[in-house]
Amino acid sequence: MSPSSKPTTEPDKVRVRLYRFDPATDQAPRYESYEVPYTPRMRIMDVLDHVHETLAVDFGYRWLCGTKKCGTCAVNVNGTPKLACWDAAEPEMTIEPLSNLPLVRDLVTSRDPFEASLASLSPMLVRKAEYAGFPEPLSAQDMAPTAHLRDCIQCLACQSVCPVLRQPDSGFAGPALLVALSELAQDPRDGADRARLADEVAQVFKCVSCYECERVCPTEIPIVSEAIEPLKRLAHSAGRSAGARRTRAFLDVVKARGYANAALVALKTNGFSLHGLRLALRLLPRGKLNLADAFLKRSPPGAAAIRKTYESNGQSSENPE
Amino acid sequence: MVDVLETDVLVIGGGAAGTNAVLKAADRGARVALVVKGLLGKSGCSIFASHLPYHDTSTEQKSHDRLRYAVRYYNHYLADQDYCIRMGAYMRNEFFADLERLGVYWRRDEHGRPEAIQSRTPALVVHKQGASGPIIMDKRRREIFRRGIPVHEECAVTSLLTDGERVVGATVLDYRRGRYFAIAANCVVLATGHSDYLATRATATREQSADGVAMALRVGVELANMEIQWWHASDVLEPRAWMRYHLYPNPLMGTQETSRLYNANGEMFYEQKTHSPGASAPYTEQMRRLAREVIAGRARWDGGYFSGYDHIPAEITKTYQHQAKIWAKLGLDVGQDRIECGITWHMRQGGINVDTVTMATSLPGLHVAGGLGCHYLGGVGPVSYDGKVAGEAAAETALTAKRSVVSQQAVAAEEKRIFGFLRVEPDGVRPIQAKLRIREIMWQLGYIKNEAKLQDALAAIQATREEMVPRLSLSSTSRSWNTAWMDALDVCSMLDACEATIRSALNRKESRGPFYREDYPFVDNENWMCRNIVSRVNGEWRSRIQPIPAPHMKPEKSREPFFEADY
Repeated sequence: MSPSSKPTTEPDKVRVRLYRFDPATDQAPRYESYEVPYTPRMRIMDVLDHVHETLAVDFGYRWLCGTKKCGTCAVNVNGTPKLACWDAAEPEMTIEPLSNLPLVRDLVTSRDPFEASLASLSPMLVRKAEYAGFPEPLSAQDMAPTAHLRDCIQCLACQSVCPVLRQPDSGFAGPALLVALSELAQDPRDGADRARLADEVAQVFKCVSCYECERVCPTEIPIVSEAIEPLKRLAHSAGRSAGARRTRAFLDVVKARGYANAALVALKTNGFSLHGLRLALRLLPRGKLNLADAFLKRSPPGAAAIRKTYESNGQSSENPE
Repeated sequence: MVDVLETDVLVIGGGAAGTNAVLKAADRGARVALVVKGLLGKSGCSIFASHLPYHDTSTEQKSHDRLRYAVRYYNHYLADQDYCIRMGAYMRNEFFADLERLGVYWRRDEHGRPEAIQSRTPALVVHKQGASGPIIMDKRRREIFRRGIPVHEECAVTSLLTDGERVVGATVLDYRRGRYFAIAANCVVLATGHSDYLATRATATREQSADGVAMALRVGVELANMEIQWWHASDVLEPRAWMRYHLYPNPLMGTQETSRLYNANGEMFYEQKTHSPGASAPYTEQMRRLAREVIAGRARWDGGYFSGYDHIPAEITKTYQHQAKIWAKLGLDVGQDRIECGITWHMRQGGINVDTVTMATSLPGLHVAGGLGCHYLGGVGPVSYDGKVAGEAAAETALTAKRSVVSQQAVAAEEKRIFGFLRVEPDGVRPIQAKLRIREIMWQLGYIKNEAKLQDALAAIQATREEMVPRLSLSSTSRSWNTAWMDALDVCSMLDACEATIRSALNRKESRGPFYREDYPFVDNENWMCRNIVSRVNGEWRSRIQPIPAPHMKPEKSREPFFEADY
């Protein structure tokens, strides 16, 4: 039983560099530096409040609940998105707005693009059968696969680090939206065509499984394994996007050959095209394409075991097109 | 000319009350617009909801227990008892079903039965204890967006507009874009909640500055029982941001165990099952027990006492969404360590004087939903009921009323007031300084009140109004998310709400529930089971008293010492 006391490792003060930019009036962003006295167990939000309250700086920053429920206070701290209310203040902090979101002012970003994308995913339950009245037949087991997904507070930290979203016009919805979609897709009550939404609207196959989203998630959701991979499993067999075709091609090639032959995967995904031919001609002299490997039947040791794995998992990779 | 949008029903506030008012008014065929000061489903106190009481009326005993809990322990005989019965029927028949229909998962046990928190007043939760609020509000938010209802987020309503007889709309500042506009409405539902950031330590969220109370007061609407202000005894002391983390004193899922409170000597002075077995949300009893410790020098209001779960297997605390994680984040062991606590200004039992049959106020065209009303303490379930009643009544009135017209002159006068704050003067008073001053005044007034302390607080509030408000100025005139500009508007609301609260406290000559006057240290059911009403008409404060009928249950004693009452 140890009543709380100040750990000896806590610093005396916090040096903070704040990002300031008002797109309506300023030519360019700038940074302002402040020294803030450390208070016990100080959070990032306490530092921002201190600057606002004591130094009377009217910078724009957003927070609502202070307790990791509203998900509106995420900011970049020394380059990593953190929930200001939840994470500890560090002795030296450069605080900037989240990336990949339009800036409103200073640390405040617009959630509008996120809300618009969410609306495009039919984000309410679309019931297979009419609602039966409370309590409807439903078990804890039914809802277990999505238990972690319900912890999402849509703070958008994951969106801000996603390398796919950093590409202009990626068309990719991003991890937070896939969490929302996956929760519905795995809900036994839902009858919407979530596979099509995942493939064509959210473009789930653009996820490169880099796990950056999981690294920064303040509620520790296994985003890739419990939200994104289930969506890919759901969408790959009938999906019409290049990503879905590539997934099917990959599975077929591995099943047939026992390994992922890049040329065959590309050919099966895109079919024969002039573009593909030009690419192949450029890759050949650099030794990046081995036609002998691609077209001569040759299975590595263990291929039979791989095929067996497919069969035991009932893996269907038939191309419906 | 300022833009004037038109709607049948305007709902102000995006918590559980406001969102249900929007949905139910739209169900009745009314055009609805919603204005939210923060973000829909993310701001306000509804996201803090944990336990949703299940109103079990399967036996006479259970019905009685439920009503007794609502009337005696939750509202200290200040609630409308017939309302409690109607609201209970809604909770039983509609509330859980309405949300489940939208997809909310009410936690089930292994047999598929809804899993209840076991106490004399069973409650259900979404998913995990402590996680109900965000999930419920997320579903309501998505449903409102799905229906294409116009929602104005990060917009502050700054005043109610009247035509001298009835409410005809409101003025709005979109503080993100710096845009000012008005909304003409045949009916307005005010749903800005019961939790405001009015004291140095408070549970309220950032944007909650009693705007609803203040706007109603300014158009002459009556406020009742504003002084019945709850404090929380078991909130985290440090870090400061976490003063809103509540170490719940009610049973953990599947057990009868709760957190305990310990004084500076390590002596346990509060545990629900020992000290208030009748009340499953025993906040007022906790405060009374803490007050004894503070008076005896064994705790302070801001620390020196502790709470924890070290008497419970750590595994059980994981049924909570946050509790065990709070300990872990601070590098503490929930099975071993205790956390230092402080009190926080929490929710208000009182509020706008309201007719609970229609949720109408004394001003035609103005309805109230939720904790903002004086009729009941609040809670996501009850305020959803209010939202339904107010939304339906407002839709009915709005669809038959003649179209409201707002006066451009009144809209322009309010524009001048708001934009008047947008100035930079080197020796001016920064609005945040006034805000901190007001919170400090209310914090010093605190839990133990008497005539002299109340008079001092009233004088201090009036001095703040006279000395600081005319000198308010900002450090920039940006119209886009200018935090200081918002602070200036908040200051005006906070002053009105605090003045009403102090005046009401001066009028009530007894102690009751969360309200303690050391100069009147007894519960006086003979004279004070009433709505203690204040209003301000043409700058003059008025007060009156309206008895609260007790058709179903009465307190056993007409008068008893405050520290001996169990409610």
